[in-house]
Amino acid sequence: MTLKPAEWQLALPLGLAFASLFLAPFLLLFGVSFFNDDQITQPGFGQWIKFFGDPFHYKVIADTLLLGVKTVAATVIVGYPLALVFIDLGPRLQRVLIFIIVMPLLLSVVVRTFAWIVVLGREGVINTLLLHLGVISEPLRLLQTELGLVISMTQIEMPLMLLPLISVMSRIEPNLRDASAALGASRWRTLFTVIVPLSMPGLIAGCLLVFASSTTAFISQSIIGGVRLIYLPLLIWQQSLVVFNWPFAAVTSLALLVSVLSVIAALSYLGRRAGGAIHG
Amino acid sequence: MQEALKPKAARTLDVEDLTVRYGSSVAVDGVTLAIEPGEVVALLGPSGCGKSTLLRVIAGFVRQAEGHVRVDGATIDHLPANQRNIGIVFQNYALFPHMTVAENVAYGLRARGARGPDVAAKVNRFLETVQLGGFRERLPRQLSGGQQQRVALARALAVEPSILLLDEPFAALDRNLRLDMQIEVKRLQRTLGLTTILVTHDQDEAMSVADRIAVMNKGKVEQFDTPVAIYDRPQTLFVNGFIGTTNLMTGKIVSVESGAASVALDAGATLRLPSQGLSAGTAVLLSVRPEQLVLSTIPGLAHWKIEPGLSLPLGSQLVHEARTADGVALKIVEPRLAAPAPAGRLYCGLSADARPSLFPHHA
Amino acid sequence: MFNRRSLLTGATALGGASLLPMMAWAKGGLAAGIYPGPWEDAYRAIVQPALKKAYDIDLEFASLFAVDEIAKLKASRGAPPFDALVLDPGPRITAIEGGLLEKFDPKKLTNASKLPPSFLDQWGVCVSAQVVGIAYNPKKVPAPKGWGDLLKDPWVSRLGLSGFQTTFGTVALIELAKVFGGSETNVEPAMVELKKVLPKVAAVGQPAAMPGLFQQGQCDVMFTNTQVVAILKGKGVDIEFVKPETGAIAFYNTFHISKGSEQVENAYKYFDTIISKDVQTALMQPPFSFVPANKEVVLAPDLPLKSLEEFSGFVVHDWAKINPLRAAWIEKFNKDMAK
Repeated sequence: MTLKPAEWQLALPLGLAFASLFLAPFLLLFGVSFFNDDQITQPGFGQWIKFFGDPFHYKVIADTLLLGVKTVAATVIVGYPLALVFIDLGPRLQRVLIFIIVMPLLLSVVVRTFAWIVVLGREGVINTLLLHLGVISEPLRLLQTELGLVISMTQIEMPLMLLPLISVMSRIEPNLRDASAALGASRWRTLFTVIVPLSMPGLIAGCLLVFASSTTAFISQSIIGGVRLIYLPLLIWQQSLVVFNWPFAAVTSLALLVSVLSVIAALSYLGRRAGGAIHG
Repeated sequence: MQEALKPKAARTLDVEDLTVRYGSSVAVDGVTLAIEPGEVVALLGPSGCGKSTLLRVIAGFVRQAEGHVRVDGATIDHLPANQRNIGIVFQNYALFPHMTVAENVAYGLRARGARGPDVAAKVNRFLETVQLGGFRERLPRQLSGGQQQRVALARALAVEPSILLLDEPFAALDRNLRLDMQIEVKRLQRTLGLTTILVTHDQDEAMSVADRIAVMNKGKVEQFDTPVAIYDRPQTLFVNGFIGTTNLMTGKIVSVESGAASVALDAGATLRLPSQGLSAGTAVLLSVRPEQLVLSTIPGLAHWKIEPGLSLPLGSQLVHEARTADGVALKIVEPRLAAPAPAGRLYCGLSADARPSLFPHHA
Repeated sequence: MFNRRSLLTGATALGGASLLPMMAWAKGGLAAGIYPGPWEDAYRAIVQPALKKAYDIDLEFASLFAVDEIAKLKASRGAPPFDALVLDPGPRITAIEGGLLEKFDPKKLTNASKLPPSFLDQWGVCVSAQVVGIAYNPKKVPAPKGWGDLLKDPWVSRLGLSGFQTTFGTVALIELAKVFGGSETNVEPAMVELKKVLPKVAAVGQPAAMPGLFQQGQCDVMFTNTQVVAILKGKGVDIEFVKPETGAIAFYNTFHISKGSEQVENAYKYFDTIISKDVQTALMQPPFSFVPANKEVVLAPDLPLKSLEEFSGFVVHDWAKINPLRAAWIEKFNKDMAK
């Protein structure tokens, strides 16, 4: 298809913004990574060799991706049933629920993160409750653990899972569930053979957003997770803002970009296949 | 006849005093219907009359507030939709978009635990029955509307339901296809001997497909009768107005004598009609179908004067518009004749076989 | 070569500068980098109105940690997003070596004579000092005596650690290393000992998160400066400061002028205001509790020192030696502490 002049002119502002605000910085980042020293004077592959020559960095990459996978899994487990409940609610309750779902997006990330410190802390809400109920005798360690981090990220990232999921699910023809029931299928069978396959595009879009967002959530990772849980964003921050080794920070950034993007590419490939089966 | 299409013992379906409420509004209001085995019943009415709700109660999607649904005398009120063994075809067909035609038809069989070659064989037989043998591997969106509907029908029939429900199944089809499908459905239903309920707002469809029609209005059944009876002897003013086209004229019963009433029309004529239980002095509405009126050049006691309007040919008929002395617009239909009608037909009267209805007129 | 580099700095300057207030170019205005938290709160409350009153200069703050200030200056070479800035000793050396600062002339300060002579040099003026030691919760643990106690029970299981990212973290870990035979340039002994007790340690966090973690009871012992202790105390947190037996650590906070600033004169007036007796006295009061630099200020009783002469008794560090090693230490800390 060829665009008429008026059409590509409409896309021009976005194109220019993309070129100047994303493409140019990205090329700079790429260029900077090929310097051996932090003064950016000696070209070479030193930073790449340093990064990929150290098994520690592979572990950090793996941990970062794994954190994304765990957060995605948790948001799916909590979010999917919530989305199922949502589409059966009346419009009034739906509005209330949407507000509650979107609320985390309206709060500053710092406020959300510190709120979770109050909840997860040694003397926080969860521990105090469990101690009072006699479920535990010693406070649980939740802050600065991956478990605590995943719990808080699940709440923080939930809107990114629910919004695409709900939008796709509410477009599923309601008669399909009735048709399935009339054909003798139980609720579970209907869920797994009709609703889940048809909601797949929304589910995958949600997974994609949550994965990209949670693997790069520097503030939550470092404040709730602490310094012992090391993910790529922390390394980038240290190298660019504490040590001022921008070339190494550039290599680390590219490692984050490529590893996250490859998972996302795989997910969206699956999404296109699922979407193709449904909408063509 | 194919094995799969052997008629089973058809079931009776009884709806007893059924009421459905949504909040404070009543969607279905004390409906009772006794449906014979193998009968096709149309639920006919304007949108919002409760016909679809009634269907959804029978299917088990909606729970009634009061009343019972019985199949062969046994109540099914306690059964969830997936245990009722009632087949349903929706207006938009509700085919599973991510499954092939064959998978759609096999869905109900698989849900009942059927596996292996039996399923494939049965799917094939039902697809052949609806003449879609070559479309097994297509996805629903690759089919035309009529083909999708055949799949929906095959899917509903493949599980051998005890009752078949059709929810406005022909509404989305164009006119020619609709007639074909109506015939097709009727043929299948006959072959299988399935007790069937058809929900529709299209009176022609109800007339041509159904053995009996339940005309519904505001949650109630106004009349439950054969198509001919409903057309010729509407029991209520609503049924009278909803079915076919009719002319309404005001008048008054001047006397009643051994079941025959003298009705003085405001248009200026006096007719002798069966009194239909009404007594002298009652203000009445006379309902008469357009084809039961005739035009005449001769004045008379049973004729009233009209002011002729347009005449329009409609297929094999001619439709005349006219206005009475008291200002009521009339439609008169007569066969289109080869010779032109004589001029000066300024009087109107009932045809010899006319069966007009009288309803009390509450001004 | 110049091409790529100037392109880079130019492009990032564009991004960096646009994020900050444009006050630096307004007449009678000054933009200053200031540390978030107590520094920003105190300077907004006390210095901003004082400068407006004395010289009619509108002061705008960019709230940044020392390392972030350096990053911004580096990125915006020649067009600094702020005219004046406060630094710790380590970043100060980085800034000097990076050519990010204007030369400083002490003679331009009318209050210069009221500071100890060593508080002024060709790069800037020292306006305060931070005293770093150990903070603990007296309701939860007994008072620790020295750095070594941090790795023993009962303190170790309630210890909150932070790494080499900050000045106070770095100097505290150096002092910890010294207890086990290390030195200013050898922190390895501290890392070895830390690793042994690591499973017991209550928290290893971002420096900025530490006060919050202490307040929430996640840890009950940490190394920090007297100012943080004063502020938490002011919020009703059970916290006390301990000078370790090997001595508390002191380091100076110095003010500088950004290279390329167009408000140099206003910057000097800003510094003069900060070191004036009245402002220094006000800054010294709780909850801010800044250690003053002006000799004429009568020291408040709750400060960690009785007179400015006592500074000679504090442990100080040579950041010219520490700076080159810090990147490797941060990396080492990452690896040793990582789960």
